[in-house]
Amino acid sequence: METEDLASVLDATWFAADLAPQARGRLAALGRLEEVADGAIVVQEGTLCESLGVVVSGRIALRLSLPGGEDRTIITVHPGDIFGWSAILPQRIATASAVAVMPTTAVMFDGAELKRALAGDADLAAAIYERLLVSVARRLTATRTQLLDLYRPGNEPW
Amino acid sequence: MPAAYFLPRAELDRLFEALAVDGRRIIGPTIADGAVVYDELDSPAGLPHGWMADTAPGSYRLRSTGGERAFDYVVALTSWKRFTHPSLVPLTRSRRDGDQIVVEPIREDAPKLAFVGVRACELAALNIQERAMRAGPAGDPDHAARRDAALIVAVECAAATSTCFCTSMASGPEVDGGADLMLSELDDGFVVRVGSEAGAGVVGPLGLRVASPDAVDRAGTQVAAVRAAIGDPVPGDGLPERLRAALDHPHWAQVAERCLACANCTLVCPTCFCTSVGVASDLDGLDATTERSWDSCFSLGFGRVAGDANFRPKVRDRYRQWLTHKFSTWWDQFGSSGCVGCGRCIAWCPVGIDVRAELVAIAPATAPAGPIPWPLSPAEGRAPAALATAAPARHVIATVRSVMPETVDSATLRLVTTDEALLGARPGQFVMVEQPAFATPPISISRIRPDGLDLTIRSAGAATAVLTGLAAGAQVALRGPLGRGWPVEAAIGRDVVIVAGGIGLAPLRPVIEAVLAERPRFGAVRLYLGARTPHDRLFVAEMGEIAGRADVEVAEIVDRAGPEWLGRVGIVTQLFDQAKWDGSRATAFVCGPERMMQATVATLKGRGVDPAAMWLTLERNMACGVGTCGHCQLGPFFVCRDGPVFSVAELGTAFAREGL
Repeated sequence: METEDLASVLDATWFAADLAPQARGRLAALGRLEEVADGAIVVQEGTLCESLGVVVSGRIALRLSLPGGEDRTIITVHPGDIFGWSAILPQRIATASAVAVMPTTAVMFDGAELKRALAGDADLAAAIYERLLVSVARRLTATRTQLLDLYRPGNEPW
Repeated sequence: MPAAYFLPRAELDRLFEALAVDGRRIIGPTIADGAVVYDELDSPAGLPHGWMADTAPGSYRLRSTGGERAFDYVVALTSWKRFTHPSLVPLTRSRRDGDQIVVEPIREDAPKLAFVGVRACELAALNIQERAMRAGPAGDPDHAARRDAALIVAVECAAATSTCFCTSMASGPEVDGGADLMLSELDDGFVVRVGSEAGAGVVGPLGLRVASPDAVDRAGTQVAAVRAAIGDPVPGDGLPERLRAALDHPHWAQVAERCLACANCTLVCPTCFCTSVGVASDLDGLDATTERSWDSCFSLGFGRVAGDANFRPKVRDRYRQWLTHKFSTWWDQFGSSGCVGCGRCIAWCPVGIDVRAELVAIAPATAPAGPIPWPLSPAEGRAPAALATAAPARHVIATVRSVMPETVDSATLRLVTTDEALLGARPGQFVMVEQPAFATPPISISRIRPDGLDLTIRSAGAATAVLTGLAAGAQVALRGPLGRGWPVEAAIGRDVVIVAGGIGLAPLRPVIEAVLAERPRFGAVRLYLGARTPHDRLFVAEMGEIAGRADVEVAEIVDRAGPEWLGRVGIVTQLFDQAKWDGSRATAFVCGPERMMQATVATLKGRGVDPAAMWLTLERNMACGVGTCGHCQLGPFFVCRDGPVFSVAELGTAFAREGL
């Protein structure tokens, strides 16, 4: 897909919407649109996380494996949101598996390449890191609420 | 009729005899266990002649005056509510015979009593309690009957103690009316004024002479001296507003360090009316009686709800609840202060907490009066639900047609009834569901059918376990419909957003059905559903059908799931926090755990939904369902009576405020 087309795809996501046109173009130049088949594992927990993805359509489940081999879905990532942020962290080890639970389209960014681009472009870095922070904070808020186990029996109205 | 008569001291027994006609019993002050209490009297000899009570914070001591006066003691330990609002009142008798149940209200005849020695502050207290219990939307028949059967003989104070502050509460010390007879005690007798036909009927046969101007002057001088002695220890102007603005004052925590939460203050208070309902049953559980007993907002369990969640777990919370109710939110609810300044709570506090000093510390006269945390007085802005058809003891027996399991611990009872009030229930209303020998839980109506109601119940305790375990043919006793429902009509012509968490979908289902029944009258309809796990989702097939409609957007999410679940996982707000729809055209209906609703409200505000168009239903300990037990109070509201559905704008900062 052409960079311009990819930029418009990104513009439809909350993660990249409202970026300055130049920044969005720069980001689009680094990404590639990928189709992920239903059930495909995009990122494997505990392995090198190479790419950060922005979901365009479909759904990605982030799963942790539990002793005994059972997986637990911790959260699902929906259109507009990101997964695989470990790719731009220093250790780059995936802390969860990312599994497509339906046919999914995502814009994928090579973590090393994205990091280099951000290091060399302060304006782009400021914009992208802020959005990453929003995404992390949003997920942290969700996790806190899930920890409260609000719907457990006896903790609900009526 | 002359303005006043004179009753010589030696003839007080004649007044007692006149009061006692037709079997009327006389209740008045007498000494017992070192204190003046109100109890039955056979003659004036039982009055505390020559005794005065010296009171101070945490202190009460009788002192002999050496005189003959009978009413120098000021106020008794106990108040008259012991007779108008007894500490224990049987409410219903229920019986189970197989599937059939019978629930009958218990009506005891109110005794004919004459209250002798009612002070001005106590007269005010009786009227305040009457407004709370009689003039409310439901009314308490037992209290009304007892008040109607009581003849009031007030006695104006001739002395004050250090704990008196009726002057600040505008409740005394002068008795300006409101009693059948009004007495002022002088050394040689009593100036008697008549306040009602019943009072005239008592004194008429006595042939009393008209009081001399001198006697009337002495009575006036006497009470004026009492007023001067008390002064104005708690400036009342703006006090309700100042207290509302001080909800986060650090002094609450300081008081809590001293307060034992023993509830003495509420027990001796002449206006406190909060109660709980207990159940006494035979061992086989077939015959049971419900009894109403005094309770206190200082009790740890007073604000407790299912699952042991407690909305006022700290003493600080409970002291704040008591004080702000007495001096602030009482105005919202009943149009007056809830305190009459009798000072009992000061004298009988075992650690000597002086409410006057706490008020001055927390809400001094110089403190600013705003901002007010809740913008709307229920008395001004909203009508309580139509309770006229649902008096507290009105039970309707309904039969279970079928039981539909919903999740591992919840089920829907399909009830059949022909009761018009129940069939006229509105979305969001609830019913109290009584079973012999079990507590009576409030259950929201999950479907309103032409021939009955559906109740979707989660088994969270003994009573709900019994209900979810019922079989077809069983009976339940219902009171209701109660509460104010969802204002579905407010959403006509607008987009509709419905956010449900867990079993919170049950009270929202009638809204969904009402909207879909008239789908063209609404804009876009969005339904967001959260649940704990995939197995905890309610009405799965039904919601699936709705999701198949082209004119409704349905999204669901669960908190936790295994790999077999391919749907969304996370919190319900993630379904719409990044959505593109314009919330300014939307009316939202929200129900779920309060913390979930808090997050939902924040997210909806971020989407542009007006707080006045955001409706949610609150959970509180709704023990009576009609606003008379006090358990479910939230700021100026009784949740059962004024809600449980509120707009976010109505609640203001009372919503999700810790300890309220």
